[in-house]
Amino acid sequence: MRLLVIEDDTTLRESLCAQLATAGFGVEQAGDGKEGLYFGLEYPVDLAIVDLGLPEISGIDVIRELRRKGKTYPVLILTARDRWQDKVDGLSAGADDYVVKPFQTEEVLARVNALLRRSGGWASSVLNAGPVSLDTSRQELKVNGSAIELTSYEYRIIEHLMIRAGQVISKSELTDRLYDQDFERDSNVIEVFIGRLRKKMDPDNTIKPIETLRGRGYRFSLERIQSE
Amino acid sequence: MSSLSTRLLISVSLLLLFFFSVTIVVLDIAFRDAGEQAQEDILDGQLMSLLAAAEPNIYGELQMPPDLPEPRFSNVDSGLYGELRDNSGEPVWKSQSALGLELPYGDPPGAGEHRFSRLQLSDGTPLMALSLSVEWELASGELRPYTFSVSESLDSFHAQLARFRRQLFGWFGAVAIIMLFSISLVMRSLLRPLRQIEKEITEVEEGKRGSLSESFPTELHGVARNLNVLIGSERARSERYRNTLDNLAHSLKTPLAAILSVVSEQPKSEVNAKVEEQVQRMNDIVRYQLRKPATLVSGTLGVAPVAVEGELLRLVDGLKKVYRDKQPDIRLDIGHDVRFRGDMGDFMELCGNLLDNACKWCRKKVELCLRAGDDNDSGYLNMIVSDDGPGIPQEAASQLMQRGVRLDESAPGHGIGLAVVKDIVASYNGKITIGRSPLGGAEISITIAPEGRSSSSPT
Repeated sequence: MRLLVIEDDTTLRESLCAQLATAGFGVEQAGDGKEGLYFGLEYPVDLAIVDLGLPEISGIDVIRELRRKGKTYPVLILTARDRWQDKVDGLSAGADDYVVKPFQTEEVLARVNALLRRSGGWASSVLNAGPVSLDTSRQELKVNGSAIELTSYEYRIIEHLMIRAGQVISKSELTDRLYDQDFERDSNVIEVFIGRLRKKMDPDNTIKPIETLRGRGYRFSLERIQSE
Repeated sequence: MSSLSTRLLISVSLLLLFFFSVTIVVLDIAFRDAGEQAQEDILDGQLMSLLAAAEPNIYGELQMPPDLPEPRFSNVDSGLYGELRDNSGEPVWKSQSALGLELPYGDPPGAGEHRFSRLQLSDGTPLMALSLSVEWELASGELRPYTFSVSESLDSFHAQLARFRRQLFGWFGAVAIIMLFSISLVMRSLLRPLRQIEKEITEVEEGKRGSLSESFPTELHGVARNLNVLIGSERARSERYRNTLDNLAHSLKTPLAAILSVVSEQPKSEVNAKVEEQVQRMNDIVRYQLRKPATLVSGTLGVAPVAVEGELLRLVDGLKKVYRDKQPDIRLDIGHDVRFRGDMGDFMELCGNLLDNACKWCRKKVELCLRAGDDNDSGYLNMIVSDDGPGIPQEAASQLMQRGVRLDESAPGHGIGLAVVKDIVASYNGKITIGRSPLGGAEISITIAPEGRSSSSPT
């Protein structure tokens, strides 16, 4: 998952980005509204974290412009102005949730995960599909009730595939979202990770959770079970 | 003496009293002088007629004929008396009207001389008298002085004078009353712009109007204009103040967020926990102090009532986004064209905090019921927010209302929501009650009623 963080305070931005990267996200950062808007429009982004008080272009205007240009990914507002009027202004401009400064990083992470999940059409933080169950808040994968150990890269891939369950995800999209920067795009590292995931989740090749669509990408193909 | 019109009426009354008294005295003197002059002329005429009627007898002594042209000399008690005396001082003739009366004309005046005098009859009747001495040549050639005297009672003159005075007082009294009445009417119309300006200032204070109107007389234009300038600068000042506070909050919180973020990058330790705790405390202080209701900062001076429905709908849309997972069923029941007399930001804080709490705690249902008083301008407002959550236990309810007490320990940083609500309600002289809603959960009712009005809910 690739996040865009637009925040003008360098210390806060870098610290937050470092922790988001540690949590397994690819992170793009921008220090002002203009740069942020450019990244938001041009880069593949799954979620944007936008500070409202930005130089050059205000956070509200960045969000409004992203929405106007057809970007539908979730936007999380960071705001120091915690009057409801400011929050409502941000939400009306097109943001999906807000975090009031100062915040605990865990809170931002929780909101980010929830927003990503929602944008994939999942209502709960535990994604259930067939015998597979992924707890996004604990980063825990279970098949038929038993936990499966995953590396951080493997987790990122299965999470991405499951959140977008049913959709075809291209290999280059997966690569993009695995790494922060361009990184040996033509290597077969994705195929290796997918192979390992299949082996761990489905050693007997009975469930077949991940489909390969030749030349197009991969798809998590198990039927979603939406918990009410 | 604090009222201008009372002062004016009293001054005008004193002035009227003074001028009317002077006028009355002057008129009275003039009337009396004219009356006396007329009386003297009449007496003079009567004396001349006596003089003309007097005839000498064979000795050449003067005698009066029995019939005189003036009948009043012949009638008893006619009030007109005539007398003729010779040099002995004894009357040679007395008019019939003066029979039995002793008229003390006194010493005769010098020859050819008129003399007016005032007499009094024995019964007290005042008389005006005129005496004239003439030298009469007798047949013997001797010159004998005769004195003609006439006198007339002043009773009728005094009666006339009294009537005149009565009329004088009557008319002047009536004129004075009419003048005072008209002056008080004029005063009322003159003071009306002052009352108007007072009324408008009250309205500005109550937030019914933004500034004073321009429709004042020229003399008050300056006052109204200066007051408007004052109101404007007061508003601008509080606006600046609020912006400063806002900026202070904003610029404080980003560094706090940076501290928290940097600390959380470090491995967990006791120091981290302490720093986090202190940062959280600093944040709570900043939030609490800087989110004072706008009225505490700016007063209600010139706050126009604002329509709330549009903003409420925006708020609910925002909350539905935030609570998308839970999908609470938020029902709004807003009375027709409800307006809030105060700062829109304060209103949003009230609704935002209450609805946010309700959404957080509800199972599915959240209701907001908003009603204005019968007269929308009165500023009366009743808001009830209810949910179907677990509700708030009685002992917790009173604790929640205390300053700084967290209403939701499980969601850090959101604890002062209800305390903020409480502060805002207090600054608008409102009432807040926590109860149990028919939906099953908490019901928080806020009533804001302007001073002097009943704070009971409309039925």
